Amino acid sequence: MGRFAVIPGGRAGEARLPLSEGGLLAALYARHAAGVLARCRYLLRDEEAARDATQEVFARALQALPEFQGAASPTTWLLRIATHHCLNELRARRAGWREEVRRAAEGRTQEAPEVDKRALLRALLAVAEPEEQEMAVLYFVDEMTQQEIAEATGRSLPTVRKRLRGFLAAARAALAEACPGISLPEGDDL
Amino acid sequence: MSAIALGGPGVGCSATRVRRLLAGELAGAERTRVEEHLASCGRCQATREELAEEERQLVRSLTFERFAAGVAERMAAPAETAAAPWMHLVPLALAATLLVALALPFLGRRGAGPEEPYRTKGGAGLVLHADASGGARALQPGEPVPEVPLRAELHPGAWREAALLLRDEDGVATLYAGPARPGPVPGAFQWTGRRGELWLLLSDAPLSEAERQALLAGAAPGGRAEIVWLPLARAVSR
Repeated sequence: MGRFAVIPGGRAGEARLPLSEGGLLAALYARHAAGVLARCRYLLRDEEAARDATQEVFARALQALPEFQGAASPTTWLLRIATHHCLNELRARRAGWREEVRRAAEGRTQEAPEVDKRALLRALLAVAEPEEQEMAVLYFVDEMTQQEIAEATGRSLPTVRKRLRGFLAAARAALAEACPGISLPEGDDL
Repeated sequence: MSAIALGGPGVGCSATRVRRLLAGELAGAERTRVEEHLASCGRCQATREELAEEERQLVRSLTFERFAAGVAERMAAPAETAAAPWMHLVPLALAATLLVALALPFLGRRGAGPEEPYRTKGGAGLVLHADASGGARALQPGEPVPEVPLRAELHPGAWREAALLLRDEDGVATLYAGPARPGPVPGAFQWTGRRGELWLLLSDAPLSEAERQALLAGAAPGGRAEIVWLPLARAVSR
């Protein structure tokens, strides 16, 4: 077709990322940047910081290209990097967690009577240990099963369960302290 | 005291699985299983809508040019502190690669004007973006197509598969065929014909080549597909 030329710059319906130099970044952007930016925005709650973090995540992915391309799921791999990066950033802001938990738990309005579960989860992350934080995001936000989390993180299933229970215990204690009228469901069934 | 559940995976429900499906990472029986589940699960359909919104927010917040520039900058940064001189070459080479990528047009950027997609029933639609100084702008239906890099933005509605075809005097070319993800189609293209059409064929199952040709030839799609058709024309030279 003489009057038509595709300009390299992304996928064309197949799942594998093109390895050509120019196409790789455009393909990464087209396929994964939206999810990574959303994850960074959710955790950091700052658009500019989220943009910076997104670029940082992709720079890291390119610096670890063989590992990235060998990942069973590039999507999961990138979101883990993004989550880890943002949680590290958030640790510096840990001081204000009580107010944030209170705001998230009591932030119901007439227009939005349901508690924003993700906002509450984000506030509660601050009181958990680093590995518990990551696994809580994988479980509650990404809705990965414990088995999937174990495979993605290289941890054993009992360790995943232990970390999630650790997160829930810390979260319950934090809610009891910051907002006694609200609790998480009892039990450790995950 | 009220109790709040934080969520987590449900029976068959997983945001990650929906995300991987849309990214084309699932195949075979797993893909079929997730597709079938998605078709009948309101919770996972809501997740798919959230992911579509993520795509729209990306276009608004972080253009490809800005993204690529930021990545290139970060890739080059370690060269300033790395210990061994030869190690400087690796990130610098990668950064150079990314700077090459900066020259690639990405046309998902929205302009300031009205950008309603060319729609048919069911909420499906198609927008054609043309490269322009300072970014890209959405062409209005019927507007002459400039000879600049173009990129289509899909609005597939609830359909699961999309095929984007360009037909002109020289024949038919497939611009995209795969999962129906809302947002800009990755591959930009340049069209130098005089008159043609863009055809967006939406369906729940992938269409065969014969089925696509039949639809282009005027076959009625019935309930199995939806067609969004966008005419292309050049400006008349004076």
